[in-house]
Amino acid sequence: MEGHQRNLYLYDRFNARVAGVSRDGIETLRHWADQLGLTFPLLANPTGYLGILFGAQHEGFPIFARRTVVIDKWGTVRYSREGSPDYREILLLLEKLHEEETKR
Amino acid sequence: MMRFLPLLLPLFFLAACLPQGPPTDPLAALRSEKGTVIWENEYEFAPPPPPWQLLSLDETDYSIAFFRGCRDEDPGFYPCESTFAYAEEPFGYSRDLKQRQEEFFRRFLWAARVDFEEPRLEAIRLRGDNALQAETVGRERVLGHKVLVRALFAHRGERVVAFYFTQWRPEDRSFDHGQLENFQAFVDSFTYLRPSFYQQLRERNPKR
Repeated sequence: MEGHQRNLYLYDRFNARVAGVSRDGIETLRHWADQLGLTFPLLANPTGYLGILFGAQHEGFPIFARRTVVIDKWGTVRYSREGSPDYREILLLLEKLHEEETKR
Repeated sequence: MMRFLPLLLPLFFLAACLPQGPPTDPLAALRSEKGTVIWENEYEFAPPPPPWQLLSLDETDYSIAFFRGCRDEDPGFYPCESTFAYAEEPFGYSRDLKQRQEEFFRRFLWAARVDFEEPRLEAIRLRGDNALQAETVGRERVLGHKVLVRALFAHRGERVVAFYFTQWRPEDRSFDHGQLENFQAFVDSFTYLRPSFYQQLRERNPKR
């Protein structure tokens, strides 16, 4: 999450926005955001439907596995990867998506 | 099978007696003719002398680190170890050096439960650019350990990078400040051979 905060100015250049999703409640996320200094939205999703939708919740586990999903402005999922975010890979994809967007 | 046992056992013991040979240099393949190390065709630096040794890091960390313990000196106390590193992505997120330093110490050695003193800050020059040096001591009061930290924050393009040094000692022992010379020599020798990933990204997208 700190890495995304570090890259916010780059996401901005590529007309991209970032949001975190967690099964934790609002108060927990507010405290966490304060501690880490996060300024982008964190979505509390206690029922877990977003995680299930994007494949971040494995069957039999009550929490989300780390997953990065990139959705383009037309609503198509263009990238989905489990594990720690590969920030360089994400930035290269956003650069490409922004080029596509400006050509359309 | 039992009749082969007398033959096999002596071979086993002889193998254990083979000479060990000199320790291999993990940086050997990366050394230039000048004796410096070329790292991933991006960084060049003079590695510290033994007993400093390269520390393996996560491949995605984009960092270089060295470690030395005190086994050879047999000091009879614990902890007695030092590390220093170059971090392409140090803790924190601000691009202002002073602010980044504050963010860095909020996360640095967090798992070691260290309380840091207020860092002494000094504006310095690093390869001709403005940089910030922060030096502090952290204390782990339950175990009675302390750690000396010197961290240098500098810009690489738009991003902030850092060099940092740590030295762990028991609370009642003094620090060995002489090891900071090895750290400083590493910092002074450190150069970039090509633009960073972020600098290249910026060059490709100049108007954004």
